[in-house]
Amino acid sequence: MSPSNLAIIATVAPAVAALLLLVVAPLRHKGAPAAWVTLLGSLVSLGSAIMLLLGRVDGGADVRVTTPWIQEGSRAMAEIGVLIDGVSVPMLIIVCLVALCVQLFSVAYMHDEPPRAYGRYFTLHAMFLFSMNIVVVSPNLLQLFAGWELVGLTSYLLIGFYFAKPSAAQAAVKAFWMTKLADMGFLFGLLVLFVATGSFEWTSTPSAQVATWVTALLFVAVIGKSAQFPLHIWLPDAMEGPTPVSALLHAATMVAAGVFLVVRADPLFAQAPETREVMLWVGTVTAVFAAGLALVQKDIKKVLAFSTASQLGYMVAALGAGQAFAGFFHLGTHAFFKALLFLAAGSVIHAVHSNSLEDMGGLRKKMPLTTAAFVIGALSLAGVPGFAGFFSKDLVLGSLEGKGHWIPWTLLMGSAFLTAFYMGRVVIKAFWGNESEKSSHAHESGLAMTGPLMVLAIPSLASGFLGGWLASQVKAEYHVHLGLTPIVASSMAILGIVAAVVVFGRGGKAPFAGVLEKLDTFSLVDRTWASGYRIGLLGIASLAGWIDRYLIDGLMNFTGWATLEGGASARKLQTGLVRDYALMVVVGVVVLVLIGVLR
Amino acid sequence: MSHLLAITIAAPAIAGALLLLVPSSARLAMRVVSLIGAVISLVTAILVATQYDRAQGGLQLLETVPLVPSLGIHLKLAVDGWGVALLLLTGIIIVAGVLASWTVARRDKEFFLLLLVLVAGVFGVFVAQDLFIFFLFYEIAVLPMYLLIGIWGASHKVPAEGPFTFTWKRFDVGSKEYAAMKLTLMLLVGSAAILVAMFLLWANSGARTFDMQVLEQTKFPIAVQHVVFPLVWLGFGTLAGVFPFHTWSPDGHASAPTAVSMLHAGVLMKLGAFGVLRIGMVLVPDAAAWWAPIVGAVAIVNVLYGALCAASQKDLKYIIAYSSVSHMGVVMLGIATMNAAGWNGAVYQMVAHGIMTGLFFALVGLVYERAHTRAIAKMGGFAHTMPVVAGFFTLACLSSLGLPGTAGFVAEFMVFAGAAKGSNWWWAVPGVLGAFVTAVYVLRACKAIFWGPPPQGEFAHLEDVRRTEWAAPLVLGTLLVVFGFWPRLLLDFIDVASQGYLGRLPVVVALAQVVSP
Repeated sequence: MSPSNLAIIATVAPAVAALLLLVVAPLRHKGAPAAWVTLLGSLVSLGSAIMLLLGRVDGGADVRVTTPWIQEGSRAMAEIGVLIDGVSVPMLIIVCLVALCVQLFSVAYMHDEPPRAYGRYFTLHAMFLFSMNIVVVSPNLLQLFAGWELVGLTSYLLIGFYFAKPSAAQAAVKAFWMTKLADMGFLFGLLVLFVATGSFEWTSTPSAQVATWVTALLFVAVIGKSAQFPLHIWLPDAMEGPTPVSALLHAATMVAAGVFLVVRADPLFAQAPETREVMLWVGTVTAVFAAGLALVQKDIKKVLAFSTASQLGYMVAALGAGQAFAGFFHLGTHAFFKALLFLAAGSVIHAVHSNSLEDMGGLRKKMPLTTAAFVIGALSLAGVPGFAGFFSKDLVLGSLEGKGHWIPWTLLMGSAFLTAFYMGRVVIKAFWGNESEKSSHAHESGLAMTGPLMVLAIPSLASGFLGGWLASQVKAEYHVHLGLTPIVASSMAILGIVAAVVVFGRGGKAPFAGVLEKLDTFSLVDRTWASGYRIGLLGIASLAGWIDRYLIDGLMNFTGWATLEGGASARKLQTGLVRDYALMVVVGVVVLVLIGVLR
Repeated sequence: MSHLLAITIAAPAIAGALLLLVPSSARLAMRVVSLIGAVISLVTAILVATQYDRAQGGLQLLETVPLVPSLGIHLKLAVDGWGVALLLLTGIIIVAGVLASWTVARRDKEFFLLLLVLVAGVFGVFVAQDLFIFFLFYEIAVLPMYLLIGIWGASHKVPAEGPFTFTWKRFDVGSKEYAAMKLTLMLLVGSAAILVAMFLLWANSGARTFDMQVLEQTKFPIAVQHVVFPLVWLGFGTLAGVFPFHTWSPDGHASAPTAVSMLHAGVLMKLGAFGVLRIGMVLVPDAAAWWAPIVGAVAIVNVLYGALCAASQKDLKYIIAYSSVSHMGVVMLGIATMNAAGWNGAVYQMVAHGIMTGLFFALVGLVYERAHTRAIAKMGGFAHTMPVVAGFFTLACLSSLGLPGTAGFVAEFMVFAGAAKGSNWWWAVPGVLGAFVTAVYVLRACKAIFWGPPPQGEFAHLEDVRRTEWAAPLVLGTLLVVFGFWPRLLLDFIDVASQGYLGRLPVVVALAQVVSP
């Protein structure tokens, strides 16, 4: 089969599954069949993706197939299609593999849901995979934007999956609004690019000024989608969604779409050094800031959420340094180990019926497989040498070394220490130490849940060794060499773990924990946005509503009133008395005569 | 020669006449007759689309019957690409509207009669190629609204406040009679302006004709154009909800019964925008080019101000009504760009908004019929008991905020692209901001009505969509998605017309070329 057809099948298969579930309501309402339909769709996608991959291993060339989507006169204003190259194929594999693992995990994890909710859950999963694949295979920025918005929609619906809970409902709309706010940047970027070049291609070469504008606007959308400072606040709240959803959307794939966008639009970003400078700093600040907050979270999912924001910060920083490949590589390894961490956390939550780290403890004996999976994920995230995360993080940090980026480099090294430190805290608190009341009743999850963990553990361990191959796919340079960065980075990881054991092993608290907790509970960024929404938006809105009702419409009423009142007054002239009319005739004659005389 | 266009207009009118012969007790027969009338016009509209030759473009399926030749009045019907799209929209909405009125209990014969007469007028406007006939159909479409709202509407109280409090003594603000009267009077003032513009064109055409094809070829003196354009803009614009003459719309739509709101916001407001486009932009292009910056600036006020007003409403129908004011602003913005992308977007938005707002009002009708309230503060958790309504409502919200994959995105995107390409590129900025504010208010409403803990007390046992009620949301919802993923279904028709009219306007082409790459 031709590569373009394979890519189309990979994209459309989940859409067919979703459509089937939407139209044939009994399938959805019964629950279990919905899971099978969705899994089948994802399996077809993954199969097509693997065949595409094999084609590329055999040396297949890049393929780009498009068809006009909006026709204007004799030319296509917008096109849709597929692009198969060294970026889209690995990404497709990552997305489909993680999605399939997460969906398999969900079969057991969501088992206690009522059948209708279960069916809805899997329908949304199918919709998500379709939307995400639109992003991955898109040949231009407009289609990428369409998929980008659609993943935002499924994210909104999945965060709000437990819509009876007011907090979940609030988190869902918050996530949608924050990302939508940022997406205005995407739309403006598209418009500027369109006006300047007449197309939505990332390969176009506009003037430097236009490139700066376009990339800056696109980056605003990246800040929103990839939860960068100061729009990161929706991500921790998004943890209201079911845990597998957090693993797939809010850790592995959807939030990484921002990074993917920059990797895709690299030719444009290459023309805009100013934007890159800003990206470098936004990424660095987010990496450090979020890592600090991850240290004091009491909810295991929130630790991972802040950790995701922090790791996305690393990727953004690498992109800012002009090393798109480093960012892309870290995206890939992160997708595996963070999905693994979230699913393992899900397994724990399922066992202890709580998100709180206080309710865990001593789980390593009760849940050995889950513990092993979580520890592998944590070591990979911490960047311990040999694990996948080490290679990609090393590349990110290496891309900053010696290019006048010493301050970000140092900060990110510090953040690497923090990463190991906060993951150490979670591992110790959840799996070592004393059992809590809830964790004493816990037992290992079944194979349906531990199976996907084992599958994801393999790339979390080993995908780091694929760096060279991935680099050859995207035509980037990649050398592993022993220099300053890998030595410092691995020392940071190991120091962080040791520090965690020393501090938390005895049940202690992190240094500066008080300050960080205050920062976390006060949440200045959150409050600023909230008051902006309440005062800026709703306040102006109610003013507008009042003006419309009582001034604009009031004027209309006044016009009607004046007509009626005027009529009522004028009516008094019609007295019906002959003498009044005679008087008027006389007055009229006199006036006319006077006018005649005076002229 | 087929008489498809004549049949499209006549079918609802004849069905309406037949209704008079059906006894009032035969309620089902009455509905079936109305539905058949509506379905015939939908089918003929689809046939028109299949017979229209897009490669050739221009006016097709021409039918002419001289009415008053001495005054240059002919019953001249023909369809262009815009007409094809809008006929389809009207056909879809009237079928959905008849279905949504199935449960009207009081004076149902008169109700269906007026509904059918109204829609015959709407069809007529979209295919009339004679200015006099155009105006005639326009009035036929607009006037039944007075009765439909005045008789079948719903009233509510608006507290007296503000500098014009004293006017409350004269009007029962918020009552259905008030809403019907305000709507009719404001639109009639608009009609008066249109009438003047019409006669000015007739008198200055040289040939003393109302034939729009002849008028298109006429180059009117610039002074005449400068009088005609504002009259046409504000005259038709009142029906399109152009600020500040939009205030009939929130009260009117809030008071009107379900099907009337669907038709009014769904297709009638489009007549206004269509009039500005077809008569203002095409017949007096030189003045239009001069006035376009003002039209666009006002449209922006519509978009943003309408959205903000919607965000402040507590009554569900008012939210949807103000969203129409905002979305019609997008249509007017597209018209003001005077380039192909903008015009295509404007007409596409007419269709997209028509379907979307039809869906909105149909669902609001369902909710109101069960919950007997429109105050969103009282609602909550309705998705537990009416998941289908919740699903379709969410879909309408998504199209409203311009999410890709829905018709709303295609329309808004083209309008914004047209604006950005035009001489006033900054118009796109408030346009996009308006779309964001829309996201805020529609999802806020969606959350307040449908999300949250299961409803208690009086709302505990609200029924979901019944079998007969499925049709309207299903058809409208499906079309929103189909037109969102496959815009060329309609756009190819629309684009042919836009290219044709733009190609004939030298001024406009020069204007568009200033910035195109």
